[in-house]
Amino acid sequence: PKYIIPDCFSGFSPRGDRGGRGGRGGRGGFGDRGRGGFRGGRGGGFKSPDGGFRGRGGGRGGPRGRGGRGAGRGGFGAGKKVLVEPHRHEGVFICRGKEDALVTKNMVVGESVYGEKRMSVEEGETKIEYRAWNPFRSKLAAAILGGIDQIHIKPGAKVMYLGAASGTTVSHVSDIVGPDGLVYAVEFSHRSGRDLLNVAKKRTNIIPIIEDARHPHKYRMLVGMVDVIFADVAQPDQTRIVALNAHNFLKNGGHFVISIKANCIDSTAAPEAVFASEVKKMSAENMKPQEQLTLEPYERDHAVVVAVASPPITYTCE
Amino acid sequence: MLVLFETAAGYAIFKVLDESKLQQVDSLYKEFETPEKANKVLKLKHFEKFQDTTEALAAATALVEGKIGKSLKKVLKKVVAKEAHEQLAISDAKLGGVIKEKLDLSCVHSPAVAELMRCIRGQMESLITGLPPREISAMSLGLAHSLSRYKLKFSPDKVDTMIVQAISLLDDLDKELNNYIMRCREWYGWHFPELGKIITDNLAYCKTVNKIGDRTNVAGSDLSDILPEEIEAEVKLAAEISMGTEVSEQDIGNIRHLCDQVIEISDYRIQLYDYLKNRMMAIAPNLTVMVGELVGARLISHAGSLLNLAKHPASTVQILGAEKALFRALKTRKDTPKYGLIYHASLVGQTTAKNKGKISRMLAAKASLAIRYDALGEDTNAEMGVENRAKLEARLRQLEEKGIRRISGTGKAMAKADKYHQQKRKRRRRKRRQRRRRKTMTESGVCVHIFLF
Repeated sequence: PKYIIPDCFSGFSPRGDRGGRGGRGGRGGFGDRGRGGFRGGRGGGFKSPDGGFRGRGGGRGGPRGRGGRGAGRGGFGAGKKVLVEPHRHEGVFICRGKEDALVTKNMVVGESVYGEKRMSVEEGETKIEYRAWNPFRSKLAAAILGGIDQIHIKPGAKVMYLGAASGTTVSHVSDIVGPDGLVYAVEFSHRSGRDLLNVAKKRTNIIPIIEDARHPHKYRMLVGMVDVIFADVAQPDQTRIVALNAHNFLKNGGHFVISIKANCIDSTAAPEAVFASEVKKMSAENMKPQEQLTLEPYERDHAVVVAVASPPITYTCE
Repeated sequence: MLVLFETAAGYAIFKVLDESKLQQVDSLYKEFETPEKANKVLKLKHFEKFQDTTEALAAATALVEGKIGKSLKKVLKKVVAKEAHEQLAISDAKLGGVIKEKLDLSCVHSPAVAELMRCIRGQMESLITGLPPREISAMSLGLAHSLSRYKLKFSPDKVDTMIVQAISLLDDLDKELNNYIMRCREWYGWHFPELGKIITDNLAYCKTVNKIGDRTNVAGSDLSDILPEEIEAEVKLAAEISMGTEVSEQDIGNIRHLCDQVIEISDYRIQLYDYLKNRMMAIAPNLTVMVGELVGARLISHAGSLLNLAKHPASTVQILGAEKALFRALKTRKDTPKYGLIYHASLVGQTTAKNKGKISRMLAAKASLAIRYDALGEDTNAEMGVENRAKLEARLRQLEEKGIRRISGTGKAMAKADKYHQQKRKRRRRKRRQRRRRKTMTESGVCVHIFLF
């Protein structure tokens, strides 16, 4: 068993819910990148209006002050020892403590990509650092925690990531595939592209491509053959986009991991109907669906479908 | 049939050895399962390597737009034009049209061609001999980064890392300079202690020490370009009656080296400051106009980057730099600090102590707008900063006038102010009474509300 000394407090929260925390998640440690985010509590100098309904600042100030630290969710206190063990999926680990967390091995030691907690493990003389993976922010983490059977993203794999956004999940995929693998991160938005570029600067196994995924021939110069296509594009014609990219870049027998947002495909239909229609579309495009999983409780009306590139026609005559 | 295949390292032209295989699209992949089989179907005719990253970038941008770049034109003319009867298989139909138009080469793009391209991509390493796979991946990484930067219109003079590093270096230099100067004074003071008390300016001290070396040379040396006359005379006088000890040539030599270093570092510091001023004006002109280069640079450095600074609300910008005082006040429920790094801005410095808090708040608000304009805006001019600064200065003058009026106080002004204060007190009392009444009403029962309807 490996013991860990975590750096800061943990406790994941959905991105929207900031209620009990009073600001960005308890980053009391100024060692983390960038200072200046100190949104804890109200000023002590606040003078409440004459009695009235609210109590004096006292009642609120106290718990608020503590609330800025960890929203009383337990999680890891600084200096608590926790256990890290490998997950069923290769390259992914579980960190066990008062609360369990999904973690990946940090390829760039000492750096947080989006402010996530990091924990260090002593293994003899070497220190290995792990980064926590937030399932509320990453669909892939939600799928893993939901119990997906195979993610096909393993150390040494070549992954094409469509819809990379600011590179938060891409960084975790990069951690999993390790220095021998490659992640081709495709993102069309310029704002997110800037952040993606910054992430890719530190990690040499991420190849950033700021192009529309609808036209894979535009970036054919940069990409080789890949083993897995991960798609999180949230577009109504996403199946066609994935199919185009697969036709160009996916090896025979490669796999797909596609995240479907029901609202995005058709906001009027029921989610189950949308998922079923998407799966049908995929079968028509030479993708054989293998599993489907909803992302409750992390996301609403989302599903992840794992498929395999339809085996070559000659093999099907059995 | 020839095949044009673009890679990050260069253009590859293949010759199809066995065209009949292309007819069977579905089983084409079987021919490419192993490198040996692949080599039987295709042969590398020519590989045009990109000379450097600029050429690769130009080729990649041309490819994205569907145009023929210079290097592609060169390759096509050189290799394909010789076999004009052959068809050229390409991956992009639009590009094929352009090639046909410009170079009059017949191009073909079909599902068979697409499948062929796929297979080539799968066996890229073995088909393109003479190019180690490491090189291809390194080149594609470099090309991807350059292409993305080109797309995002990344301009190197808008990088705020320079500012952060420059200001840290400035602080480091100051610390080092101070240490060296103190050491120099102490060391030389062993030989000529009075000089330290006469010359207060550090740079002049070092220059003097450098020039005179041993104090016996003072009488003969001319210090008019370093020191003003009276001080020079004092120095000459003190050298005669100095109580310091004698030192050897070697010791003087070392002290001189130290002084050289000090002078060099001082010069470099001035240069660095100029550089910082230029960079600040280029990167954040509005912020520079509002608070000055040094304060602006410190704010950016404190927040980490210009974009980070832009994300902070104005209240944060106001007390950036005073975190220790802030959290202490929050914990013990006392008054929070009114200014942080902003205190050193000229606008805040030139007000009276009473108004510093007000000005700091106003300056932080306008500066925050200026920061956001600089960080996220499209064009870079300082108009907005100048306007805001003018507004602030006008407001500052207003505040000071009001203060002056208070002191001298015309009777009318005092009476008006008093009346306002009385009315304010009345309003407050009325509100308190209303609140108490409302509170007791809800406690006593609901019937009163129905009555109101």
